[in-house]
Amino acid sequence: MTNLFGVLNIGTSALLLQQRAINVTGNNIANVNTPGYSRQRLNIETASPVASAVGPVGFGVRSAGVERIYDRFLGVQLNSENANLGRWEAQKGMLDRVEVVFDESGGYGLNQALSDFWNSWQDLSLNPSGSTERSMVAATSQGLADTIRKKYSDLEQIQEDIDIAVEGGVEDVNRLAAQIADLNRKIASTETSGTNANDYRDSRDLALKKLSEIIDIKSFEDANGQMVVSVGSGRPLVENGNTWRLSTQTNADGHTEIIWPDINGGAVNISAEITGGRIGGWRQTRDTKIAGYQDDLDALAEKLMEKVNEIHADGYGLDGTTDIDLFTGSGAADMQVNPEILEDLNLIAASATAAGAPGNASNAIAINALRTSPTMDGAATFDTAANTLVSQVGYDVQAAKANASHQADMMTYLENYRESVSGVSLDEEMVNLVKFEAAYNAAAKMVSMADEMLDSLMNIIR
Amino acid sequence: MRITQNMMSNIFVSNLRKQTEAMLQRQEEIASQKRINRPSDDPSGMGRVLAGRSTLASIGQYTDNIKQGKTRLEFTEQTLKLVDDLVQQARRVAEEKSGNSVTAEERQFAAAQVKEILDQVRQLANSKFGDRYMFSGHQTDTAPFQVDDLSDPYTVSYKGDDGSFRFPIADGVEVTVDADGRNFFQNGADGGVNIFDQLRDLIAGLENTDLEGGTTQIRATIDPLEDAHVQIMNKRSEAGPKLYRLQATAEHWVNLKNTVQAAIGREEDVDATQAIIELKNLETAYQSTMAAASRIIQPSLVNFLK
Repeated sequence: MTNLFGVLNIGTSALLLQQRAINVTGNNIANVNTPGYSRQRLNIETASPVASAVGPVGFGVRSAGVERIYDRFLGVQLNSENANLGRWEAQKGMLDRVEVVFDESGGYGLNQALSDFWNSWQDLSLNPSGSTERSMVAATSQGLADTIRKKYSDLEQIQEDIDIAVEGGVEDVNRLAAQIADLNRKIASTETSGTNANDYRDSRDLALKKLSEIIDIKSFEDANGQMVVSVGSGRPLVENGNTWRLSTQTNADGHTEIIWPDINGGAVNISAEITGGRIGGWRQTRDTKIAGYQDDLDALAEKLMEKVNEIHADGYGLDGTTDIDLFTGSGAADMQVNPEILEDLNLIAASATAAGAPGNASNAIAINALRTSPTMDGAATFDTAANTLVSQVGYDVQAAKANASHQADMMTYLENYRESVSGVSLDEEMVNLVKFEAAYNAAAKMVSMADEMLDSLMNIIR
Repeated sequence: MRITQNMMSNIFVSNLRKQTEAMLQRQEEIASQKRINRPSDDPSGMGRVLAGRSTLASIGQYTDNIKQGKTRLEFTEQTLKLVDDLVQQARRVAEEKSGNSVTAEERQFAAAQVKEILDQVRQLANSKFGDRYMFSGHQTDTAPFQVDDLSDPYTVSYKGDDGSFRFPIADGVEVTVDADGRNFFQNGADGGVNIFDQLRDLIAGLENTDLEGGTTQIRATIDPLEDAHVQIMNKRSEAGPKLYRLQATAEHWVNLKNTVQAAIGREEDVDATQAIIELKNLETAYQSTMAAASRIIQPSLVNFLK
């Protein structure tokens, strides 16, 4: 049945719908720069026609819900690449600091300390009883021990800083997991009424992305639209509205480990299972890279002390004293010059015989000869071992930089792909705005025409 | 592909970041004149630079050792030359005063002269290099030639040992310089002359009141004193080949030092021309990125709608 009121109804539905469309367009424009926002579209369909004498006649327009435009498979890829980015950026950030510890480009460092040490023994061999030469040997030995110890403790400091960073990271994980669980609940209650919880879903995707940068996660959306998140080897972190709170624990080495609570409330150490995200990157830097450099420093210090002490203890000091070690300590962490020697420089054993003490330099020459001896693993000299360590740090930093940069490019590409699907184009929105405005104006015109027609009809009666 | 404003600004921002990073890198290279400013700039290059630096440090030390060794050899040579002069002088005295016509007074006078000579030879044999005795073996803090009994002031005994002075001039290569005073002044290694004993005998001969017995004593010292001259000359000639060897090694180190320095330079120094051209290229790229961005990012449909 068609009548004038029908026209008014059509006009009203059109007015309301175009207004709603402008509303959605306006919301898109407003959120053009909002991180994680997916553009929304008002789905429009014709209202159910009404029967008339000439058959069904259209009865205006109606909305079929607001839909967000997104690629449901992109999220997973984005999150896994983001975990890689987080991992390499974390490694790069910490290794940059390690590189400063081993920065020898200025000419001061392990290389220089070793050269000074060897040279002071040569000087002593030229004048084995000289007090200047003896104090130089003591000073360069101290310089060498200090350099090795300082580098070792600097590395420990970076490890401690990583521990603090890991703790902060775990707090972030818990916070984001709670957010995702909360959004899961909100989405469930919104969508039971059949509408789309677009903005909640955007927020949840964004939280998931942030989470993946911190820790490597696996996630999927179940049949009810609930996000399920797991960490490590499939250990649940979020399910529906529930979360498993991660915590930290200090291990035997004094470093922070990550603990996951099992169903009985027991603590499961999942550190080794975490390989990605910032936490994974930090953990690798701390337990593999830095620990490796520390092992190398230890090997250098131990061998150096062993070999030098061996020869030194065989020799004789100016006063005929023998069997004195030059260095004390068990490794890079506590390498020191024997305090007895620092107190009495005559104890420095330059001589190979007790009788020929003042002029005999055979022992000094023997210690200096260690410089060119293949004492370290792989037949390397001490100098080579120290130089190799510096190069190794350089390689690791270079690799971390290259990987971080590659991951960043990958993310830019994926983000742009996401933007291409879900991003707001102002041009498009402007076109839509003009389009809906024109439709709105036309609908208004229709209403006013129907009004005039009704007026005319009323005048007939009057 | 659907393009949005944010994609354009994202790409613009990420490229701008890369370009500024690259420019900073070049700028650092030009400012420091070094291609390697930290190990990660070129890890293997850094390894070679450090190896080169170790080599340079040891070359410096070996060069210093050679300098000191040379000075010591030259000093020894000078000392021995003076001793040689004195020994020859004593021999001439022995020759001149061994005649039967020489009076007791003349012999007394000559005895005083030889006493002086003996004192001087002993002083020279007790020479120090720095604060160490040169002819006392390893007992460098003990004067090697001492008078044990003050009532017998012309009998000199050796207090040093047979140690020698050794110093490294290259990896595993040492130069050994004889520091055993006996090889120079007393008996020598293979039945040489004891200069001090000969001088003592000469003094005794000159002071002998029995002139004839004195003559025999004096004559007995002439040949040994001539042998002493040869003994010292032989010791002096030992220094020659050593000095030559030190000189040759020093020259080798100078050449190697230049080579190593050049190698380090090639490794870590920046090629200024190349760096500046690269910077110029980056600058051009940077400016065109900015220019393009300013044209593309600004307008949107908004600007064209009234």
